[in-house]
Amino acid sequence: MEIKKILVCDDDEGILDMLALILEETGHEILLENNSMNVLSIIETQSPDLILLDLWMPVISGDQLLKSIRANSDMHDLPVIVISASRDGRKIAQQAGASAYIAKPFDYQELIDSVDACLSGDITHMSNTI
Amino acid sequence: MNTFRNGKFNLSGESLTDNFELLVKALDASISGIIITDNNQPDNPIVYCNKAFEKISGYQRSEIIGHNCRFLQKDDRAQPARQKLSDCIKIGSDCLVEIRNYRKNGDLFWNELYMSPVKDKSGHITHFIGVQNDVTDRKKAEQDLRQQKDLMEKKIEERTAELRDSEAFLSSIIQTVRESLLVLDPQFNVISANGHFLKTFKVSSEETVNKHLYELGNHQWDIPQLKELLVKILPTNNPVVDFEVEHDFPHIGRKLMLLNAYRVELEGQYKDQILLAIEDITDRREIERRKDDFLSIASHELKTPLTTIKGYIQALQRMVSSEAGERFKTTLDKVAVYVDRLNNLIAELLDVSRIQSGKIELHKTPFNFDAMIGETIEAMQTSTPSHHFILKGSTNSLIEGDESHLIQVVNNLLSNAVKYSPESKEIFIHLSRVSEYVKVSVTDHGLGISIEDQKKVFERFFRVGDVQERFPGMGIGLYICDQIIKNHKGTLWVDSKKGEGSTFSFTLPIGEGQANGN
Repeated sequence: MEIKKILVCDDDEGILDMLALILEETGHEILLENNSMNVLSIIETQSPDLILLDLWMPVISGDQLLKSIRANSDMHDLPVIVISASRDGRKIAQQAGASAYIAKPFDYQELIDSVDACLSGDITHMSNTI
Repeated sequence: MNTFRNGKFNLSGESLTDNFELLVKALDASISGIIITDNNQPDNPIVYCNKAFEKISGYQRSEIIGHNCRFLQKDDRAQPARQKLSDCIKIGSDCLVEIRNYRKNGDLFWNELYMSPVKDKSGHITHFIGVQNDVTDRKKAEQDLRQQKDLMEKKIEERTAELRDSEAFLSSIIQTVRESLLVLDPQFNVISANGHFLKTFKVSSEETVNKHLYELGNHQWDIPQLKELLVKILPTNNPVVDFEVEHDFPHIGRKLMLLNAYRVELEGQYKDQILLAIEDITDRREIERRKDDFLSIASHELKTPLTTIKGYIQALQRMVSSEAGERFKTTLDKVAVYVDRLNNLIAELLDVSRIQSGKIELHKTPFNFDAMIGETIEAMQTSTPSHHFILKGSTNSLIEGDESHLIQVVNNLLSNAVKYSPESKEIFIHLSRVSEYVKVSVTDHGLGISIEDQKKVFERFFRVGDVQERFPGMGIGLYICDQIIKNHKGTLWVDSKKGEGSTFSFTLPIGEGQANGN
């Protein structure tokens, strides 16, 4: 299996730790970031293959960040899975151009499947139906 | 007198006697009572009465001859008519009075008496002639009429007073209500404005009443949405209820208003006047928004650590080696179940808030109904080994609806069925198509619900009394289910018997062209 780079950005350290534990099992390289301000530069320097992105974060929200990614010609087709506890998260994620959406708290298998699907290129954007 | 000329009667009789008798017969044939009194004798005694007088008064001629007429009034002396009579007797003029007389048996009768004096050549009054008519019936009719009239007038007075009262009452209500009210004429000129209107929009009565609505307060009511309401909507949709208008007023700022308008259609002086009730919901909306924000944030913040816990539990479940004891595994599984339950409670709290503020968002898309039910039951079966779910029937329908919310409904009904039937092990789910609806029934053989409680189980925060102690809960699950089903234009209901179990059923309309009929 080809080892890919997954960047996880969430302002909650507990979530980051937990996601690190779960995603370790996939065998991919996991980058953790709790400050959304750093994400764009990390993408530029580290070139992750997939981003897991929280929505409600201080200073720059996940959807703002996602819109910037989609507007940037160097990274616009980067797969981004939005993962949020917000009630309106699905809609916001869809509008911002997410590849997939996972509601918190999530199901282990759903997360793994979604990561696999995005990394293999099966999913490029969210379907319109919920 | 033509009949008495040259000292002789000039009738057809041969002799004076003949003619005299003829005259007497004529007097007796009259239906008016006639008496003659002799004014030359003391106390004016009656010297003659005809048959009609005997009949009207009930007295025989022999009983009254020589009497003064006053016996006819018996003790009823203080009558104004008597005064008039005696005045006329004194001055010797004729007169017509209506006087209360009494028959021999004591019965009252109204006597219309025409009294005329007879004078000799020197002008001295020799006799009085009284002509009497019994007008009791007429007087009674007149009296009745007067009584009726009095009664009517009294009633009208009472009604007028009542009307004035209720008008004052009504106007005090209008002035007191905490809602702005305007009455407009058909050309939208203000006829009246209540106190709350003046207070809310900081205007005086003088600058409001008799002014055109759009010109009020420097055209601050010249609002396109309001014009649309009055000109376009009201003429065809009377009344207009809860028409929302948002407007920035120059001095008082942005206001969110609910307008209720009603055009008087009743014929009469108020016809085509327009009642405009303006409810200022700016603050209420702001409070709703803040509550909603608060619950969203609270729910988000509660879910964040929950996500971490759930993630670790799932990681642990995968890490458990095959050698680990069953007790360890089941304990871990139980933790997972209760974390899910906590998550559902948080979601429900947010749902209740949204439903109450009418903000529940449904994302309706067509989906395979039977597959949704099947998958939901399957998931529930996996996490609930204690009970056996038995699905029967099918709908073969596509439903246009919010699948995730409908899954929530089915989950709620299934988990209720499990929760309230701890002794029974089977839950039956039946699917069917009824006319243009799909129908789902979830039946358990558990505790059941009494008739009184059946009506209330769909109410917010209602918990069946004796159930609360054994099965804690918030009492919002069924309320949310009911609201979700209503939002899909379906119905949710319960059939149950205490001690025998319950069947919760709901229907959902199959949209036109959605039934695939396979």
